[in-house]
Amino acid sequence: MTAKNNELAKAGEYKPIDLLAVAAAREVVDGDIVFAGTGLPMLAIMLAQKVSAPNAVCIYEAGSIDGRPIDLPTSVGDARCAHQASMAAGLTEAFYGQLHCGYVDLAFLGGAEIDQYGNVNTTVVGDYLNPEKRFTGSGGNPDINALAKRTVFIMVQEKRRFREHVDYITSPGWRLPKWPGGEFVHKREVYGKFFRGGVEAVITNMGVFRFDEEGLMYLDTVHPGFTPQQVKDNCSFDLNISRVSGETKPPTYYELELLYKEVDPEGIFLP
Amino acid sequence: MGKAERITLKEAGALIQDGDMLSFSGFTIWRRPMALVYELVRQGKKNLHLFEVNGGTHTEVLAGAGAVKIWESCWVGHELYGKLGEGVARGQCEKSMIVEDYSHGQAVARLLAGAYGLPFFPTALSMGTDILNPQYDMLKIAGLRDGSNPKIPRQKYTVSQDPFYDMGEILLMPAANPNWALVYASQVGDEGTMRVNAQTYTDAEVIKAADKVIVLAEEVVPDSYLRSEPEKNIATGYSIDYVVELPWSAHPTGSQGFYDVDADFIRNFYSASKSKAGYDKWAEEWIFGVDSHEQYLEKLGIINLEKLRANKVLGYSTRVKRGSR
Repeated sequence: MTAKNNELAKAGEYKPIDLLAVAAAREVVDGDIVFAGTGLPMLAIMLAQKVSAPNAVCIYEAGSIDGRPIDLPTSVGDARCAHQASMAAGLTEAFYGQLHCGYVDLAFLGGAEIDQYGNVNTTVVGDYLNPEKRFTGSGGNPDINALAKRTVFIMVQEKRRFREHVDYITSPGWRLPKWPGGEFVHKREVYGKFFRGGVEAVITNMGVFRFDEEGLMYLDTVHPGFTPQQVKDNCSFDLNISRVSGETKPPTYYELELLYKEVDPEGIFLP
Repeated sequence: MGKAERITLKEAGALIQDGDMLSFSGFTIWRRPMALVYELVRQGKKNLHLFEVNGGTHTEVLAGAGAVKIWESCWVGHELYGKLGEGVARGQCEKSMIVEDYSHGQAVARLLAGAYGLPFFPTALSMGTDILNPQYDMLKIAGLRDGSNPKIPRQKYTVSQDPFYDMGEILLMPAANPNWALVYASQVGDEGTMRVNAQTYTDAEVIKAADKVIVLAEEVVPDSYLRSEPEKNIATGYSIDYVVELPWSAHPTGSQGFYDVDADFIRNFYSASKSKAGYDKWAEEWIFGVDSHEQYLEKLGIINLEKLRANKVLGYSTRVKRGSR
């Protein structure tokens, strides 16, 4: 590796997916215990470990704990995940021995639809009893979102995906139905003494979103090339753009070099 | 309980009855008992009740064949090689299949209760989600929570107050005890001791939770070999009922230390599975068009298989092309 070039890349020198990975990586605090899913989350944690968070560790829900893959896994069950892991365990360890018992600081997750409270749908389109389309289903998304201290969603920005209400709440945001009654309350009231935190940021191809004290989404930074109004126009709900703190920092040349030469040299997630 | 009985793949398939509740080893597209799943389709099994911590290519092979009546799980797809579970989706949208959604961790809780002989297991995972919406209890809507089927609990879940430390509300998840665990294992000893390489997923729990266990072994080895490092083993011989020795029987899913996922094969299957006609044509070629696992391997061809063979040091193939570069 040549000297680190920490200059910021200019428009046209990086792809939207590169910025997604880099913006996500910047959410990792050194020392975090990170739960990551397949795809961009893997790129984000592996990049963070190389740039700013060398002491962060990664847990994959299939059971590899603190693996040090030398080849990028294509799924969380991949043989590559367990390379040099501190433990090659199973789901009981991942979900109960790590997550439920409280080790997990940060998690990267994805979703098909999100609402203004950060509730995410990965289950069906339309009425659950008469669905138009079935997605993969929850996987570990809601479990991790329930009990990790901070979670970050990486998503595609589209009007139909940023909705006032999602068709099915697969994964818990900040205001939720409390079952069996179904009254909407703050996440703190649903989880009681199990409450540890929740959705901290949503990163899309247009901007980075965060949540206010009431649990409502607002736009924090816009990616270079977009205006807050354009982002708002790509939301079905009335997005708060009064708290925009500036532009999202583009990737540095060093980050791009790491992404393409060390993290995903085979072009598995980065085409 | 005696020693595991060595049987053939056809005999293993014949043990499964229409309507039985099944669960599987593995994780999405890793270590699935694929050869036996194909055999179940070849033998025309119907009305199967799958309980699985997560689904994968095997689920879709069964769902596409119309063999599944009830699917209780949290996820189905083919990871990077097929983003949805088309057969399950069709079954749910057309209402030919009852889909009962849990979260991953909740499904693990159900399996843990089953594995440890407990009626339920507590969890705080995925509270406040529509998974718990009482109007979405599909087995109840279907009238199947009346206690007449011993494999279906009377409630999807219940909420309880912590009686000991005042932690407040917590979910209780009912045990899952399938009739059968269909398992693929890296190595099985000649007395039945079982080992898997790398991540253990929920393989040990599935074996304990099920009434009966059939294991497809990549290789059968002397038990003394496995017993020289007992900490690496995940099941005893007396917990396993039947063993079929069948190399490559997890294909196209991967088996750490033996072979990688066959990405192209799964992509082709996924593409075919998008319609019933496409699935049927695929099944005609790869399930009904071969009469045995050996014929299936012959059809795949040695060149394809050798590309997937794992590097003995790394445990996965370094010769498959995985990305665009």
